[in-house]
Amino acid sequence: MNLRYVFKELTHQKRRTVISVLGLSIGIALFVILNALSMAYHEAARAPLKEVGADITVQRPGNVPQELAGAVFPCSAVTIDEDETEDIKAIPGIRGMGRAVLLWIFDPNRAWIVLGIEQDNPIGPSLLKNFLNEGRYFATGKPEALVETAYARQFGIRLGDQINVAGRSYPVVGLIDASHASKIAVANLYLPLAEAQSIAAASKNLQTVSPFAGDDVNLLFIRADQDRITTVAASVKAILGEKATVATPESFLKLLGSLFALSDKFTLAASLIALIMAILIAFKTMAGNVTERAREIGVMKAVGWTQRNVKMQFLAESVIQGFIAGLLGLLIAQAAAFALGFMTVDIPIPWEMSPTPHFLPGGGDPLFKTLRLPAHIPWSLAAFALLLSVIIGGLTGALLSGHISKIKPSEVLRHE
Amino acid sequence: MNNKSDILVGIDLAKTYGELAVVKGVSLAVRKGEFISLVGKSGCGKTTLLSLLSGLEHPTHGQAFLNGKEITATSEDELALFRRENVGFVFQSFNLIPTLSAWENVALPLFPIKMSEAERRRRATELLDQMELAHRLEHLPATLSGGEKQRVAIARALVNHPKIVFADEPTGNLDKATGDAIMAILNELHRKQGMTMLMVTHEPELTKTADRVLRMQDGELLS
Repeated sequence: MNLRYVFKELTHQKRRTVISVLGLSIGIALFVILNALSMAYHEAARAPLKEVGADITVQRPGNVPQELAGAVFPCSAVTIDEDETEDIKAIPGIRGMGRAVLLWIFDPNRAWIVLGIEQDNPIGPSLLKNFLNEGRYFATGKPEALVETAYARQFGIRLGDQINVAGRSYPVVGLIDASHASKIAVANLYLPLAEAQSIAAASKNLQTVSPFAGDDVNLLFIRADQDRITTVAASVKAILGEKATVATPESFLKLLGSLFALSDKFTLAASLIALIMAILIAFKTMAGNVTERAREIGVMKAVGWTQRNVKMQFLAESVIQGFIAGLLGLLIAQAAAFALGFMTVDIPIPWEMSPTPHFLPGGGDPLFKTLRLPAHIPWSLAAFALLLSVIIGGLTGALLSGHISKIKPSEVLRHE
Repeated sequence: MNNKSDILVGIDLAKTYGELAVVKGVSLAVRKGEFISLVGKSGCGKTTLLSLLSGLEHPTHGQAFLNGKEITATSEDELALFRRENVGFVFQSFNLIPTLSAWENVALPLFPIKMSEAERRRRATELLDQMELAHRLEHLPATLSGGEKQRVAIARALVNHPKIVFADEPTGNLDKATGDAIMAILNELHRKQGMTMLMVTHEPELTKTADRVLRMQDGELLS
């Protein structure tokens, strides 16, 4: 193999090289983009859960409260008792768990959506502290309140005010703007978990629908091994019953309903078609190259190049073309991924996970988590695509070996 | 016929393509340093005989010995290696690689050999200098005249220090003046360097300087 000769062939036969490289690079670009798009949808589907630091959220549907007065549970999230919580915690594959209590509190003058949170647990709604825009976060062990900014503005609640909720008084220590946060596990009033548990346990109205002890909760946030999310979700359902709402990235993906999101098989099939097309284009161009250069091959053999010498020369040409096509394909794919990054995607939030009562203004509206499509090409995919392109180039070169072997110098050099 | 000074020997060589017999039982011997002209009408089998004698093609029947080695019962790759070390070719249509410069075309037989780029270039440049083409080293074949192309082809035939040069109608694509110049180069190679040559031609004019003229007709040697 002579690199100078390879370089000369590729640079002097520009048209041939461009067609060959372009054909293969388009196939590679399609392959990369399809996979990047599929990965982007998967990542987007994870976003609502990622914002609460979890891979799985768990809640159990129950009965509608008879009377909307005092503290009640939404019918989509009733009691998960302490024993069940411990059983779930013991499921293999779970790396951590957060707990919360979601309440609707109907006071005489005001309705509150209250979320009791474990203030220092990184799994669960405590991540909301990132959205604090005034005041401070909870001080450990103190009965304090954080109020959603828009709600505070609507009802004239200010930092430092004392608010009365279900007959208890709390100082407002911070204001939170969670309008850009995930639409799950948000509220207009945030309390320490113990306070919310205490309010729930004390509510007779709530107890008649769903008995609740002081350490029970009605929302769980689970962080699990990525490869075991599905089996963990199934185990949770086995503990809480089939009706339990167990939200995973996969369930959000299904709600998304995108062609890419719906089926990994589609991505695989489309990628394969793109690659087969790329291989056919590369093979056709390079086969044409060998036919066109039959006389040249004859000269090479006549002046002492062995079959192996000639094959290696052509193999080097096709491998280098494959490499260039791979780089070009990645550039095209990168540009496409950049453009796709401007697209927004609406992840539907199931109504069961909406904290807002549907009978309140806006409560029945479909909820979406809107985000820019996180389309990017990971290094592993880029490296694989480049390797694939080189392999296709090499494979094409190897497949042409038969053609090269058949060329006899005496036949192609017979003049004239 | 099979003498120690014979560099090339053909014994009862025959080549048929299906029913068509192109070379019919040809025997010949070429001595070292001899300049042989093989003449005959178009289609009489001259080029096929040259292919059999140079190891470009296997005969249907018979044997050929080049520099003491039987080349008729040898694999393609062995023959390629043998040609690399022993044989130079000059073709009617020059057969230069269009994407390579003049010096790279001359160095083409050296590409598969383990050798530095500088050494390849030195050897090619030296030969092109002898062909008075030192100013055309970097030129592509498309920018060379017919005569220049053939001189590059002759340099390529000599770059591996061959024992014998086979020339197939070397002036066939050239005008008379240029053809004469090319013949002068080949004659000089023969005279000054003692190069053995077997030249196929159909122009009687070109046989004048040959040591021996072999005539071919319908696949057979006449004399």
